[in-house]
Amino acid sequence: MRRGLMGWNAQELPIAALEARLSRLRAEMDAAGLDAFVVYTNNVRPSAVHWITGFTPYWSDAVLLVPTTGAPVFATALSKRVSEWIRTIDPVSEIVNTPKPGALIGARLAADSTVRRVGVLEYDMLPAGLADDLAAAAPAIEWIDGTALFAALRRVPDAAERGLLARADAIAVAALREADAAKATDAGTLAGAIEKRARLDAAEEAYVALAPDLDRDRRLNRTSQPTPHAARFAVRASVAYKGCWVRRIRTLAADGGAAKAAGWFAGLLGAIEPGKPLAEQIAARVKDLPGAGLTGWMAESCTGSYPLSLLASSRMPGPDTLADGQFAVLTIELALDGRPWIGAAPLVVGAPAL
Amino acid sequence: MIADERRKRLAEAMAEEGLDALLLYGNAWQCDYLRYATDFGSLEGQALAIVRNDGQIALYLDSPLEADRAALDCPGIEIHLTRDLVGEVERALERLRNQRIGAAPQRLLPRRLAVRAADLKLGDETAFLDRLLMRKLASEIDAIRRASRLADEGYRVFMQAARPGRADYELVAETEAFFRAHGADDNFQIIGVGGVEVRGMAPPSGKRLKRGDMVTTELTPCVEGYYAQICRTLVVGEATPEQKAAHALWRESMEAGIATVRDGVTAADIARAENDVFRKHGLGQYTTSEYTRVRGHGMGLFADSKPHLLEDVTTRIEAGMALVVHPNTYHPVVGYMVLGDGVAVTKDGCELLTRTPRELFSVPG
Repeated sequence: MRRGLMGWNAQELPIAALEARLSRLRAEMDAAGLDAFVVYTNNVRPSAVHWITGFTPYWSDAVLLVPTTGAPVFATALSKRVSEWIRTIDPVSEIVNTPKPGALIGARLAADSTVRRVGVLEYDMLPAGLADDLAAAAPAIEWIDGTALFAALRRVPDAAERGLLARADAIAVAALREADAAKATDAGTLAGAIEKRARLDAAEEAYVALAPDLDRDRRLNRTSQPTPHAARFAVRASVAYKGCWVRRIRTLAADGGAAKAAGWFAGLLGAIEPGKPLAEQIAARVKDLPGAGLTGWMAESCTGSYPLSLLASSRMPGPDTLADGQFAVLTIELALDGRPWIGAAPLVVGAPAL
Repeated sequence: MIADERRKRLAEAMAEEGLDALLLYGNAWQCDYLRYATDFGSLEGQALAIVRNDGQIALYLDSPLEADRAALDCPGIEIHLTRDLVGEVERALERLRNQRIGAAPQRLLPRRLAVRAADLKLGDETAFLDRLLMRKLASEIDAIRRASRLADEGYRVFMQAARPGRADYELVAETEAFFRAHGADDNFQIIGVGGVEVRGMAPPSGKRLKRGDMVTTELTPCVEGYYAQICRTLVVGEATPEQKAAHALWRESMEAGIATVRDGVTAADIARAENDVFRKHGLGQYTTSEYTRVRGHGMGLFADSKPHLLEDVTTRIEAGMALVVHPNTYHPVVGYMVLGDGVAVTKDGCELLTRTPRELFSVPG
């Protein structure tokens, strides 16, 4: 649930940027023969609507209708008295409050006799209740899955998105520095200190997870218990700033190996090349780090409604190339002189930094 | 463990209902149905679970991070990590063909699964799960009791953080840090800062506190998956006579609502008792959806659990339920004001769960 700073700032996300995104979406809709595009959102699936309008729901759900011309229509189950707040975050949509967003958007579509084929982001995953309402209100519409169309648009972030991602990353970096201070000897207090730093720095959301004893178990989990952490532990901060998410993981250890691996990892981020299999690129680079063996990796990005979803992973084989200029979060797991090390950080392929 | 007790109760209820399996959906927004069976609190992405009447539970996730968390948090459950979440579950359901499968919550199920309801013998069993979610075991009420204590302590932290010049999100930061260090994995919180122009609460917008502002918040910390809520209002500096008078009305309303709570009444009875106080003072219009969402709601594995306390909700209130009674709404002279306490329903009344004084607090301005 979103409970940090939420707001729209014209300097950070100019209306011109939102209009340019809308134009790109409409061009793709036109090419695909779509008469409208529908995007579902809730606070777990905020990213597509945020990309189009700037808005992230803190609660409840909503549907955005993108017609071929005119303002997008944002139909939300949030109450009418929250409209004023929504307007402060979504500067481009017509906002309509309704207990049945699907029925309202369906009725709008049905009322326009020129609308026949409608693209839907993540059509299979639409909540059943909302999908039923849409279909019942617009029985003649042909619904087309628009997931791939939208993902192609999202591959390379624009300048506004890169700015927001950079701010989110700066918040994550500063928050994880709390782990250096070694003020907290237990995992819960440390998680609280990291989250507090992120929120004081204006994070919209911050999820903190720890592997309190990395030698024993490399898996990270959220924690709120006074579990002592070992001398070698890992911390993950997943941070959102104004709708844009990054993830970072740091391994903390008394020996110098962790710092050496972190330096190697920073070099790897800047060296990822477009169009080449990630698995091969990472494996080749691991050879440059003495004593290191690759135990796992993962790449995530924002391609649809979810903030960060899986692109490729050593645990789930599949296509694993990134495009030039693509944003991703890369996670690497190593055995370093026989001991685990984990790092994660965001990158833009072909760019030295976010 | 609460999770084991819940699973035993679920298995008994499934047997009684004649269900061979359940299909449950959850995400970080609403995870109560899924968590009831799996004990998994989804944080990112979404999750589906198939619960069989022989006790076998399979949890399907599409995020490696979430799969790791589930393996740590949910021993004894099969974890399936898959790129094609819906396809994988669809295939699993096909293997259960000709068995009676219930689904919940039906309205949130992925469309692709829901459209195969007839073919897969998938029935809407949301109401079946709702009964289990609302009427709680003693161990569930105990978790809500612990969450309520944290809500009380968290509000003290919130008050200490409130001072002129601080941004609303900084108050949230202090409160969240306290919760993470003291056993609350999650918290739902919204906030309002200002005066008569404030018509509700929302996430922080960066407003800085100034003398004379009313600061409203609801804190909803989560312990072992169970959310408990408290709502309070404070004033930066000295409260005005108008603010004090409004708060007295809110308190009268909340106490009328709490006095009504007992086994056998309806959700509507409680809402009506709250709203009658507003009507008595000529403020009945502020009890409508134009100004307020609900007059309270259930507490449990979801921050906004059923039943909602509204005059048109006829759900019978039963011993074992946990509720927050909050006549939160707009006041035409002072702005949006909140006051709410959590209660556990008993046979002849209720147990008060939150203990923070029912005051209009004042912090140095």
